[in-house]
Amino acid sequence: MTRTSRSFRTTATLAAVAALGLLATACGGDGDSTGSAADGKPVTLTYWTWTLGAQSTVEAFNRTHKDIKVELTEIPSGTDGYSKLANAVKAGNAPDVATIEYQMVPEFASQGNLIDLSEYAGETVRTKFPQSLQDLVTFGGKTWTVPYDAAPQLYYYRTDLFKKYGIEVPTTWDEFKTAAEKVKKQDKNVRLASMPKNDPALLAALSWQAGAKWFSVEGDAWKPAVDDAATTKVTTYWDGLIEDGLVQSYTGYSPEETKARTSGRTLSFLGASWSAGGMRTAMPDLAGKWAAAPMPHWGTPASGNYGGTSYGVLKGSENAKAAAEFITWLTTNKAGVEARLADLESPSSALPANPEMREVAAAKFDTGYLNGQDLYALASEQAETIVPGWTWGPNQMDVYTAVQDRTAKSDFTSGVRAGQRKAESGISERGLKLAK
Amino acid sequence: MAAPSAPAVRPAAARAPAPHPPGASPLRRGQRRAAALFIVPFFVLFAVVMAAPIAYAVWMSLFQERSSGLGFGGTERVFAGFGNYAKALSASGFRSSFGHIALYCALYIPVMIGGSLALALLLDSALARAKRFFQLALFLPHAIPGLIASIIWIYLYTPGLSPVLDWIGALGGSWDFYSDDHVLTSLVNLTAWQWTGYNMVIFYAALQAVPREVLEAAVVDGAGAVRTALTIKVPMIASAVVMTVLFTCVGAIQIFTEPKLLNQRGAPSIDTEWSPTLYIWKAGFVQHDYGLAAAASLMLAALGIALSYLVTRLGNRWKAAQ
Repeated sequence: MTRTSRSFRTTATLAAVAALGLLATACGGDGDSTGSAADGKPVTLTYWTWTLGAQSTVEAFNRTHKDIKVELTEIPSGTDGYSKLANAVKAGNAPDVATIEYQMVPEFASQGNLIDLSEYAGETVRTKFPQSLQDLVTFGGKTWTVPYDAAPQLYYYRTDLFKKYGIEVPTTWDEFKTAAEKVKKQDKNVRLASMPKNDPALLAALSWQAGAKWFSVEGDAWKPAVDDAATTKVTTYWDGLIEDGLVQSYTGYSPEETKARTSGRTLSFLGASWSAGGMRTAMPDLAGKWAAAPMPHWGTPASGNYGGTSYGVLKGSENAKAAAEFITWLTTNKAGVEARLADLESPSSALPANPEMREVAAAKFDTGYLNGQDLYALASEQAETIVPGWTWGPNQMDVYTAVQDRTAKSDFTSGVRAGQRKAESGISERGLKLAK
Repeated sequence: MAAPSAPAVRPAAARAPAPHPPGASPLRRGQRRAAALFIVPFFVLFAVVMAAPIAYAVWMSLFQERSSGLGFGGTERVFAGFGNYAKALSASGFRSSFGHIALYCALYIPVMIGGSLALALLLDSALARAKRFFQLALFLPHAIPGLIASIIWIYLYTPGLSPVLDWIGALGGSWDFYSDDHVLTSLVNLTAWQWTGYNMVIFYAALQAVPREVLEAAVVDGAGAVRTALTIKVPMIASAVVMTVLFTCVGAIQIFTEPKLLNQRGAPSIDTEWSPTLYIWKAGFVQHDYGLAAAASLMLAALGIALSYLVTRLGNRWKAAQ
């Protein structure tokens, strides 16, 4: 499903680990977090996440807080992780705090898996985050999660190979196509980029950039438009590139995709601010050979959000107040942001949503891998161009699978049509109101 | 495993009445108590791990979670009667998953059972050498968990990683293990690799119980090795064959791991609803629609029971005809 920074994680090995992990936690549920600050003992919070730098963040928090202790459990990202969280809520052994991507907030909130945080964090969200991100975590007048990062799209390319093939960094999608043709002409085994058919989150971000709105709210009804005009423009463009053999179509976040990049058969890729963190671990030998640029656009500079995370408190938690305190520290405290980037093994390159924290993160980020390029300045600039007004749907995961299943069998254009049908049927089936 | 090696007794004899009809010699109270002591643990376990979960699934299958408006006011559970069953049956994904499984079985069962039978007969033939070694070597794939086996095979199937595809390419050929035309054979290859050796061991054990004098008589009558194998040995291990076909059918309709991983690796025609268990998994864990998942599971279980009955009936008729 949605991919964030760790490109290796959809490898099958991880599937195995995930399966084992599921078993292990199924057997030993963490039970109730007992105790409260009132009786003098520290409150113990359980925290499930898959984000980079989590370990060092939790250690830093525990070092500086006497009354709250956080216990970290790593879970898989994507569908597997959300299944695990939803099942834990049903089983009554959910963690207090978990990472919820923006795209999952409406689904998780409307399925009753989240605690309304308006009382504890509503003020923080209103005062410390840009409106565009507030819109992604506020529904029905309630604050459900607290944003951590903005995920503007970025275009990563091999500087050495662009020089070798005589290619300028494309700024528009027309130039991107011309560059793709030029690369193919010079070497039939090499392509400018690869467009995965199994990453609907990327397709959503590209559609968002083009001005699409997959979901909107009309009064008390949902209005899905997964196959709107802007989306269809995007899908037609990529279907054309794939049909003409101008781009590859490897499975996203797969070993073969990474191998094509490391062996120089794919010259660039469509990523986001967080991608840089994973590149260092996935392609250590290519340090200094990559650079980031704004995503090519349709005429005026624009960006979508590709991924992006927030933090929520799960239903059943008895420590919502302490959990909100931890979340506030994670998202708006200098020490929290620094700790996340200081992780030696898996440093994050996420762009904090809170503008003050951006400077903190930028100062801490090691730019060595990108040859000294100021990634945070670029990402901050791009974050300003994120098109406002996007809303995720109440059955987003289901829509994603419908898009992905259909796309795999035919093309993106039929994929989004299947996604639209699923959006409509899913909303009605759950008794939600569908705008006509 | 040794159970199927008993079929040396003809079915007709097996059906003969027991020498002491039940009730003829009433059990003493002490014996009855001892019998209860042995039986009760079974029923307790059966109730806890079989009957209770099934009853709970039946209960769950009768309810749906409903929200209203935008859905942020919480959810409520409402009685839906057979609504979830109707929903599953009207879903094209659920219906077509049974078609996929039928196609898969049509290819997998003959290949796998035929393969293990052939291997067992070869091992049992007078000409075979190093029988122990081959028994173990052929059984080895089964010792590898399905998940790991899938990962190994997917590695061999994936272009850019697979040495096999590199060799095919070097010879000037090309093959796409994931294409719509080939993915079923790729899947059957994977599962047959895991299960052929296992069933071969069952058949081989059954063959050991075939009386030597019968085989000697066949040789004296002038039957060659092939003739002996096909007309003497195979009919004599009919029970073992029927039993493995039964187990294979029940296992095949529940196939999950292999298509799940093939789906993740981007085999286009294996979608997230390819098999009934994948559909159920998705309903339960992606859509969080537990009622729908329970209803679909119960229908799959019913199919499994019906299939077991059918295979047993047909198998008995075949054995009787031998």
